[in-house]
Amino acid sequence: MSAEAAVFYLFAAITVFSGGVVVLARSLIYSAFALLFTFFGVAGLYVLLGADFLAATQLLIYVGGILVLLLFGVMLTHKLYDLDLRSEVTQFLPGIIVAAGLFAILSAIGLRTRWAVGPGRPPSVTTAEIGRLFMSQYLLPFEAASILLLVALMGAAMIVRRRRDA
Amino acid sequence: MMVGLSHYLVVSSALFSLGILGILTRRNAVNVLMGVELVLNSANLNLVAFSRFGSGNLQGQLFAVFVIVIAAAEVAVALAIVLTLYRLRRTPNLDETDILRG
Amino acid sequence: MPDVVASMKRFEPELILTGALLLVVVADATGARWRDVASRILTIGGLALALVRSVELRGGSAQVFGGMAVIDPLASFFEALLIGASLLVVLAFTFRNSRELHGLGQGEFYSLMLAVTLSNILLATANDLAMLYLALEMVSITSYVMVAYMKGDRMSNEASLKYILFGAVSTGAMLYGLSFLYGLTGTTSLPAIREFLAAGVTDSNRFAIYAIALLVFAGFGFKTATVPFHFWCPDVYQGAPTPVTAFLSVAPKAAGFAIMMRFFYTGLAVPRTGPWDLAGTIDWVRVLMVVSVLTMTVGNVAALTQTNMKRLLAYSSIAHAGYIMMGVVALSQNGARALMIYLLAYLFMNLGAFLVVTLVHLHDGTFDLRDYPGLYRRSPLLTVAMAIFLLSLMGIPPLVGFMGKLYVFAAIIERGPAYFWFAAVGAVNAAIAAYYYARVLKTMVIDTAPVEKPPFRLAFPDAAWVWILLLGNVLPLVWWARIDGWARTSLSLYAGP
Repeated sequence: MSAEAAVFYLFAAITVFSGGVVVLARSLIYSAFALLFTFFGVAGLYVLLGADFLAATQLLIYVGGILVLLLFGVMLTHKLYDLDLRSEVTQFLPGIIVAAGLFAILSAIGLRTRWAVGPGRPPSVTTAEIGRLFMSQYLLPFEAASILLLVALMGAAMIVRRRRDA
Repeated sequence: MMVGLSHYLVVSSALFSLGILGILTRRNAVNVLMGVELVLNSANLNLVAFSRFGSGNLQGQLFAVFVIVIAAAEVAVALAIVLTLYRLRRTPNLDETDILRG
Repeated sequence: MPDVVASMKRFEPELILTGALLLVVVADATGARWRDVASRILTIGGLALALVRSVELRGGSAQVFGGMAVIDPLASFFEALLIGASLLVVLAFTFRNSRELHGLGQGEFYSLMLAVTLSNILLATANDLAMLYLALEMVSITSYVMVAYMKGDRMSNEASLKYILFGAVSTGAMLYGLSFLYGLTGTTSLPAIREFLAAGVTDSNRFAIYAIALLVFAGFGFKTATVPFHFWCPDVYQGAPTPVTAFLSVAPKAAGFAIMMRFFYTGLAVPRTGPWDLAGTIDWVRVLMVVSVLTMTVGNVAALTQTNMKRLLAYSSIAHAGYIMMGVVALSQNGARALMIYLLAYLFMNLGAFLVVTLVHLHDGTFDLRDYPGLYRRSPLLTVAMAIFLLSLMGIPPLVGFMGKLYVFAAIIERGPAYFWFAAVGAVNAAIAAYYYARVLKTMVIDTAPVEKPPFRLAFPDAAWVWILLLGNVLPLVWWARIDGWARTSLSLYAGP
């Protein structure tokens, strides 16, 4: 088995196994930390796929931002001294049937379909190119995303803020 | 065996299915959010894999960057709402939200 | 660089909205006493100016910003519709006449309105998968915040939670479908996707296309509240502040239909034979028909037993989405035109109904139909106006709602005998709907209240807006030729470079 294959299987295993823990664990804290490993696994896969900028972004934003936010959410919605943090599971059987079915169908599609054949992109440094694209072809979504962030953050802050005197 | 597109697609479909499982079976709103994040990550993995093996352009990766940004904004708003839910009701569980029924 | 400058010239309405948004944010941040008034003036001014420029700039067909968005007559039509809808909502529903909004911050609300309008327009003009997803999520996230606006209220909170979780799942599934589409075609640009798919779809790709269509429809179905992605609708409409509900029922829905049209007709249509032949992999028509029928029926049947006015109008909204889908099913020039006309009519009918509900809530504090008896004696204007809105929703001539239904049914019937059963189902549904609309009318006019309540005095601005929306339902008939002409000329979709 080549080195690349070994690394792939390692990261794939981390990702999928952690994903399983996120979804199945009893304790919310276990889920949150498993999510951390899932994000790391995905970042590793990105590196293998030659998306270096994306991998760094994944770590910075998903782990550094979103996961921290989720942890805050977990912590703030449970009484700290009551370390119960149990998260219950309902209707497990139908859920697992649906999930298994989805996995089977989507994998089959993934394996059977003739996806677009192209030159492919051997791993290379992408940051400069991505930066250039942001300023040229992707300018509109770039600016729109900044508006989205402004409004989302304003909105989130407004929702959480204690009612002010009007 | 060379690691090819199919390998990544199987991983992403596994992630997607796990995410859906979490969304369908979890009572805690934060847990459901984690399931959603799994789904978004699986789609991102698809995009990057297709970019690498298929088209050769960076459009997939750019798309993935925007997805990450959107996910961040979504989580911020979702947690704000969950926090308010907890403040009003002392529980982050979804089963106990049933005022709106009719 | 030249492309960017040229694109910006065509993007003036969006730039105006962005500028207004930033100004409102700054004004609100100053904390000065006049900031609420300033926010409102800036918002109304911004929307009005954007509307004017949008109408002036219409015409021409081009991709802008590197193919991310497209400005064509269809886009101009929807721009005008969407900005107009926001303007009407901001003008007619104020912080004074909406009891639910009393005491809440105004600056944030207006900036959210501007942001959601901008997002709606970006959605209606999207030409690339990344832009499509970004705009869709922008609309959704700003809507989630608006629904959660009454933060101290349990119903609002529960509604926004259901909304965001349902929405996140639907759009997540859609994203997975979009990623498959990228993988299949090697590009995220809609015109290029169409070129690729038109070249032919092999058997091995067939299932992928099915899966893509299903997943993508999850996102579109969520935004337009069609079955089976409508479950969030009644709860969200009931829990959100009524002005937000009124807005959600018209604008994001219209934007959702616009992008649905654009996606199917631009992304999946066969080039060179016009936008109306879809890449024939799936029997789209049958699938869309089933969706339309289910949507109408579920909406109408569920509305029959509702007593909460907001929930009733929510289910009515779902049913109307079903009628609008009839325009999509027709898959023809006339079908698309019917869709546009119906959305225009729907704007005035629905906003009117919600305005009446808001005003009743302002004076009586209730959304329950069982508290509506005797309204006729207390406020004849409100009752007559509501009657007009309900009749329009029912589709009674000569009101604008009738025109909408007429166009939609005509577009279906002219497709041939195979479609007749579909039109018949639509007609039956309209009849079922008439029952619950009539029930509201009867309660208001004929039933007497057990306890006499004092008559309403409507504030002048409120009465004025009721009149304006009322006329909006009645007068269009006078100028029908012009409206029809406008819809016709708007019907050219950008077909690629």
